[in-house]
Amino acid sequence: MSLIQYHFNVEKDDFDRAGEASSNIKKILRQLGIDAAIIRKVAISTYEAEINVVIHSLGGVISLEIDTSSIKITAKDRGPGIANIELAMQAGYSTASDKVREMGFGAGMGLPNMEKCADKFEVESVVGIGTTITMHMYI
Amino acid sequence: MKAGDSVDNKYFHSVVLQEDRCIGCTSCLKVCPTEAIRLRDGKARIIGEKCIDCGECIRICPNHAKNAVTDKLTVLQNFKYKIAIPSLVLYGQFANKVGVNAMLTALKEIGFDEVYEATIGTEIITKVIQEKILKEDKIERPLINSSCPAILRLIQIRFPDLLPNVVDIETPIEITARIAKRDAALRTGFDISDIGVIFITPCTARVTSIRNPLGIEQSYIDAAISMKEIYGHIIRNLNAGVEENITLSTRESMEWSIIGGQSKAIGVEKYIAVDGINEVIKVLEEIETGRLEGLEFFEGMACVGGCIGGPLTIENPYIAKAKLQSIARDLPCKETSEEQIKQYIKMYEEGLISLTEPIEPRAIMKLDKDISVSMKKMEMIEEILKHLPGLDCGVCGAPTCRAFSEDIVKGENQKSICIVKTMETFKKKKN
Ligand SMILES: Nc1ncnc2c1ncn2[C@@H]1O[C@H](COP(=O)(O)OP(=O)(O)OP(=O)(O)O)[C@@H](O)[C@H]1O
Ligand code: SF4
Ligand SMILES: [Mg+2]
Repeated sequence: MSLIQYHFNVEKDDFDRAGEASSNIKKILRQLGIDAAIIRKVAISTYEAEINVVIHSLGGVISLEIDTSSIKITAKDRGPGIANIELAMQAGYSTASDKVREMGFGAGMGLPNMEKCADKFEVESVVGIGTTITMHMYI
Repeated sequence: MKAGDSVDNKYFHSVVLQEDRCIGCTSCLKVCPTEAIRLRDGKARIIGEKCIDCGECIRICPNHAKNAVTDKLTVLQNFKYKIAIPSLVLYGQFANKVGVNAMLTALKEIGFDEVYEATIGTEIITKVIQEKILKEDKIERPLINSSCPAILRLIQIRFPDLLPNVVDIETPIEITARIAKRDAALRTGFDISDIGVIFITPCTARVTSIRNPLGIEQSYIDAAISMKEIYGHIIRNLNAGVEENITLSTRESMEWSIIGGQSKAIGVEKYIAVDGINEVIKVLEEIETGRLEGLEFFEGMACVGGCIGGPLTIENPYIAKAKLQSIARDLPCKETSEEQIKQYIKMYEEGLISLTEPIEPRAIMKLDKDISVSMKKMEMIEEILKHLPGLDCGVCGAPTCRAFSEDIVKGENQKSICIVKTMETFKKKKN
């Protein structure tokens, strides 16, 4: 079984390049011939995770790992972490600043959407250290 | 050549290379939105499978080596009764003082029995989307316009999961062609096969779609003459005969070929209208990742400005736009009766003007049918890429180093080499 791995750096506050990782991942999956509906789910959830790294953390890495049965996306960042994960997971909960809201983010829908798109979804977070989101989609 | 004549319609493309003019400059490699061009033996080659006929390469080629296959005027001889349907873009191609009836009369004088305006097509589409499609949720939101064939082909290749968003209605020209043919048959008594509908086209993608239609079984358009080619003939005929009263155009139809015109005519509130294929790609990416929630209608046109920027037009798109808007100001707004709207919707429901064939995704980006083979190939691509300079210089004949690496792995390129890499190795050896 072969395994493919890709890593994409994501910088804090780099709105210019935000979305690049998810866009690249989408291209790779299309070349591999993954089903369009699955690609869409991966693209939506990876984009949300990527934006969270840009907005809420100090920067991090998005990784894509694929084997013949599943796609695994990991978004690992350095930053403040999430103190109350259950609260953060609630639809509509957001600590985004007014400035970020003006840019159209901060509806508090990112984490719930990721959970909805993924077949398996995990958040690990240590306050003051960082957050890791892990998502699996089965193919 | 009559549309439908050729045996290899499936592989027909309007955009072709005129080999003797190509000097292998790589300009076209870079602008092709689907990476469908390679240089082989110093000449550009279009990969038919990937080409969406957008005409970007025709526009950029400094040597005019990229061309469009269209019909010649002699095609008129094939028919007993000849109907011209000029794209509405034509109205913006003349000096300000030339009125619409003057243009249409001059066009008719070339040898047509009748000139039929595409206005009717734009009206029907507008009403059906407004009064039927937007009121139901049969088609996914945002609705995506079906009027630009280059965009449809792009969606098939790059955004297949947005195919359920495409409005299932024919284009203005196709609808107009059907009505014109039916009317003429009733009026003249000629057999349908004796009636020729000839489209005066600003668009290469549309020419391809006549032979190789998308979403319908067969086009009712029999031939397409390039606007560029017929322009001189029209100019020569201006003021030659008695001006006829032909036009029935309305303000809305006149703006249809300007980007945003369709959305405005439909009157939908939450719309985005995007022109230029690269910008369309960016916005479709956003739609695909669910970032434009609440959007009702997406109008995407491959050419800058909309069809007024089509590759076979004469006038600069911005000037054409000003001219069309000035014509539009003097035209009446369209009043459609309830009766007519009902009739249009019936035509749509009965499959007369709707897309009856599925538009299938085309997975040409796929490396292999078998995912584990694809994965192996992907690994090889990455491995080769590590050894390439990443300059994307195009000298190897591929648009990017990645495309070069992909070609090698797919076995599509046995010959070319990377000159930069070779030079580096050479220098190292020398030291
Ligand atoms: N990587 C992260 N690091 C620190 N805090 C985070 C991180 N991701 C999410 N959070 C916290 O969880 C909250 C909810 O995240 P979620 O993505 O659901 O909404 P949002 O980012 O605020 O808004 P939206 O995603 O709708 O634009 C955030 O407002 C933030 O407080
Ligand atoms: S914008 Fe108009 S002219 Fe250009 S490709 Fe699309 S349909 Fe053809
Ligand atoms: Mg978020």
